Amino acid sequence: MKTTLKSALRDYSMLLALAAIWAFFGLEHPVFLSSRNLSLLLIELSITASLALGMLLVLLPAQIDLAAGSGVGLAGAIAAVLIFSHGAPALLALFVATVACVVIWALMGALIVRQRIPAFIITLGGLLVFKGVHWLTIKGQTVPVSEGGKNNAYSLLTTYYLPPLAGFALGALVIAGFAFFLLRARARRASYGFKVPDNERSFLTLFIAAQLVFLLVIVTNQYRGVPLPALILGTLALAVYVLTAHTPFGRYLYAIGSNEEAALISGVPIERTVIVAFALMGGIVALTGFMQTAYAGASTSTVGSLMELDAVAACVIGGTSLRGGRGSVTGVLFGALIMASLLNGMTLMAVSPEIKFIARGVVLALAVWVDVKLNSD
Amino acid sequence: MSASSASVSLARAPVLATRELVKRFPGVTALGGVSFELLPGEVHALCGENGAGKSTLIKLLSGIHPFGSYEGLLFAAGSEVQFTSTRDAEAAGIAVIYQELALVPEMTVAENLCLGHAPLRRGLIDWDRVYADAARVLEMAKIELDPTTEVRKLGVAERQLVEIAKALSKNPKVLILDEPTAALSEDEVRRLLDVVRDLRARGIAAIYISHKFDEVFAIADRITVLRDGKSITTLETKNTTPDEVIRHMVGRPITELFPRRASTPGGVLLSVSGLTVAERRDAPPRLRGVSFEVRAGEVLGIGGLMGAGRTELLLHLFGAWGRRIAGKVRLAEISLDSPTPHRALAAGLALVSEDRKRYGLFLESAIGFNLSLSSLSRVSRRGLVDEDAEVARSRALFDSLRVKAPGLETAVRTLSGGNQQKVVIGKALMTEPKVLLLDEPTRGIDVGAKLEVYELVNRLCSEGKAIVLVSSELPELLGMSDRIVMLSEGKIGGTFSRAEATQERLLSAALGRPGAPQKEAESS
Repeated sequence: MKTTLKSALRDYSMLLALAAIWAFFGLEHPVFLSSRNLSLLLIELSITASLALGMLLVLLPAQIDLAAGSGVGLAGAIAAVLIFSHGAPALLALFVATVACVVIWALMGALIVRQRIPAFIITLGGLLVFKGVHWLTIKGQTVPVSEGGKNNAYSLLTTYYLPPLAGFALGALVIAGFAFFLLRARARRASYGFKVPDNERSFLTLFIAAQLVFLLVIVTNQYRGVPLPALILGTLALAVYVLTAHTPFGRYLYAIGSNEEAALISGVPIERTVIVAFALMGGIVALTGFMQTAYAGASTSTVGSLMELDAVAACVIGGTSLRGGRGSVTGVLFGALIMASLLNGMTLMAVSPEIKFIARGVVLALAVWVDVKLNSD
Repeated sequence: MSASSASVSLARAPVLATRELVKRFPGVTALGGVSFELLPGEVHALCGENGAGKSTLIKLLSGIHPFGSYEGLLFAAGSEVQFTSTRDAEAAGIAVIYQELALVPEMTVAENLCLGHAPLRRGLIDWDRVYADAARVLEMAKIELDPTTEVRKLGVAERQLVEIAKALSKNPKVLILDEPTAALSEDEVRRLLDVVRDLRARGIAAIYISHKFDEVFAIADRITVLRDGKSITTLETKNTTPDEVIRHMVGRPITELFPRRASTPGGVLLSVSGLTVAERRDAPPRLRGVSFEVRAGEVLGIGGLMGAGRTELLLHLFGAWGRRIAGKVRLAEISLDSPTPHRALAAGLALVSEDRKRYGLFLESAIGFNLSLSSLSRVSRRGLVDEDAEVARSRALFDSLRVKAPGLETAVRTLSGGNQQKVVIGKALMTEPKVLLLDEPTRGIDVGAKLEVYELVNRLCSEGKAIVLVSSELPELLGMSDRIVMLSEGKIGGTFSRAEATQERLLSAALGRPGAPQKEAESS
C-alpha cells in the first residue's frame, strides 16, 4: 500500500523528469522533436539501454562491470578488423567477437566467485586491459565496419530500417502480445487471490502503451521506418525481463544480491549463477559493441569509452540498487531513456563536452538523491 | 531464587508509563491499547507471544516510532513526553539493548563503548580517557573484558555484555533488555541477571523481555502480559506461576510443553561415521570422529555447550562449513562426500539455521519469494517458473504452518520472529526433505510458536522423515528427542536413549566428564 504508492511516485518522478527534459530540449531546439532526430535518439537509446540491461544482470547479484565500455570498443574492433583487414564474412566476424566476449566475461565471473576477487577490481583491471587490447587490435587506425562502404550485416545493424508496413504490423503485434500477457497476468493474480490493479488502471496502461507504440511507429516511419536497433533492444528487453522475472536464474540473482549467505544456505548455486550473469553480460557487451561501432561507422580508439558509467547510471536512475537485490527492466529502460535524451539533446544544442559531462553527473546524483528520499521512511 | 528483595512501593511515581497506546500499520494493528507502568527500581518483565506487540511497544518507548505515528499517551518521570527521535528517548534516560547486536566488529571494546560520544581534548580523541572510561563502565557492570580487545574476537555472549555496558555508559534511568539472553550460556545468563539485580539495587528500572520463564521468574518483580497488541494483565511475580502467565499469553491453558509423541523408527536415513572436520585446510579439527545414525520417523537431539561444534556439525553435513579430513556421510543411498547446500538439498537434506535473519531470510522480499527459493527447480517447466504450481505450494505451506500475515506477497521484514521462523521452516519443507536439520528452531520465539514447531516435528516424524534437532535448552532436548547425542569439544560425549537421559547425565556428557555413559552411537 504505502510501498506501491512510493514506487508509483518513483515511476512518476522519472516520468516527470523525462517530460521536463523533453520539454526543455523541444522548446530550446525544435529539431529535437523532429522525426529524424527521434529516430536517431531511438538508435542511441537502444545502444545505451542494451548495455544497461546487461549491467542490470550483474548489479542484481551485487556485482559490477566496469569493463563494459572497454569491452564495447574491443568487440567492435575485433569484428571490424576481421572484416576489413582479413576479409572475413561479416556474420562470422560478429560470431567470433561475441564468443570471445562471452568467454572473457565468464572467466572474469569465475575469478570473482571462485578466487574471491571483488568484481570492482577484476573489471577495473578488465577496463584497462581491454582498452589496451582494443587499441592494439586497431593499431591506432580507424577501421571501417565494411569494405569500400558496401553494406554488410555489421553496417546494417544501425542503418537498416523496417519498411513502413512492417513497422505497423510489428506495432500491432507488440500491442496484441502486451495486451494478452497483461490480461493473463491479471487473471492469474486474481486466481491466486493477490491484489490486482483495478480495471480502469489496467485499461489505461494498455491504452497508453498502445498509443506510444503507434506514435513511435508513425514518427519513425516519417523518417525511414523503425530502426533495427529498436527491434534488437525490444527483443533483448523482453529476454532480460523473462529471465529476471520468470526464471529460477532470475530469482537467484535477486536472492544473491539481497542476502548472499542466506542464498547459499537456500541452495542457490551462487558460483554458477554469477558466472552465467557475467557470460550473458559478455554477450550483451559484444552486441552493444557492434551497434555502437556500426553507429560510428568505424572502430576508433574512443568507441565505447566511459559507456560502462552510462550503463550504471541508467540502472541506478531506474531504481537499481548498487548493493544488489533491487532493480527492474522497465526501470532500466526509463533510466537509459533519460541518459540518452540528455546526451542527444545536448549534442544537438552543440553543448561543449565539458558541460555534457557535468550535466550527466549532476543528473545522476540528483536522480539517486530523489530515489533515496522516496525510499526513506 | 526469590523473585524480589526490593520492595515495590506503589506510592512512588512510575519512571515510565503508557496509557492506551495504539499503533497501526497498514493492514495491521500492532498495538491495540497498551497501558503499563514501570516503577523506579523494579524489573518489569513483558511476556507475550509472537506479534503480541512487545517489539512495537519498545520501538515506541525508544522513539523509533516517533510521536504522531501512534495514539495514546507516554509518560516519563510523571509528565507526558513526546519522543520525536531516539535521541529524545535517550535524553529521557531510556536505553535499549536490542536482540540484534549493533557493534562495530573491527573496533575495540572501548571504541565501541564511546562510539558517537568520544571524549575530546583539543579536538582530538582523548584515548586515555576512552580506555579509562571503558574500564570503569565494564567494572561497574561486573564484566571482565579487556577494553582493548577487538569486538570481532569476542563470542556472541561477550558481545552481548559489551552491548549492556554500552547502554550503561549513557547513565540510563530505564534499561530495556530485549531477549538479552537468547545467545547466552547458562553461566553467562547468571552473570547477566546479577548485573541487572545490581542495577536495580542502584535504582535503575528495567524492562525485561524474554521467552525464558526461569529467567523471568528469577529476575522480575512484576510481569505484564501482552496478547494481540493489548496489555492483558500485570502480575506480581511472587503471586503467580509460569502456568498462569502462559495461560494469559495464549488465552488458553497449555497442558504439556513438549508434546513429543512416541513413534516407531524405520530404516536408517542419515548415517555419519568417523566425521573429522576442520574449518580450513591447516586448522585444528573442530569435529573429531563424530558418528551417529538417524532413522525415519525419529528425532535425534544434539546438545552440547557453546563451541562444542553443534552448529558446525549441521552446517558441515549440509555442505556449508568446513573441510572434511575423514569420515563418511550417507543419506539414504546417496553418499554426501563433498556436499554443497545445492547438492544436499537435491539429495533430500534440508537445514533450518539458528540465525534466521543472516542465513535464512530475504527480509525485503515477499513471503512467497522466500518460501519457494529452495524449490524453484521443482516448480519450473522448460526453464520458466510455473507460477500456478509455485503459488499452490507456497499457499499450502503458508496455511499449514499458520503464518500470521496478510498474504504471500507480504514482505518478511514485517513479520514477528516466530512467523519469520515459520517461513524459514516452510522454505526447507517445500524441498520435501527426507532428513531435516533443525538448528535451535525455537530460539527467540514464544511459547505458542514453540508448541507449533513441536507439533510440526511430530507431524513430520509421523510422515517418515528423520529429524536432527540441535538445541541449547536441555528441557527441549529431553522433551522432544527420541535419542540424544551430546557433543563435547567436537567429540561425542555420550549418546542417550530417551529413557536413560536426565539433565544431569546430559550435562556431564557435555562437559566430557568421565562417568557419563559412553555408548556407541550405532547401538540404538
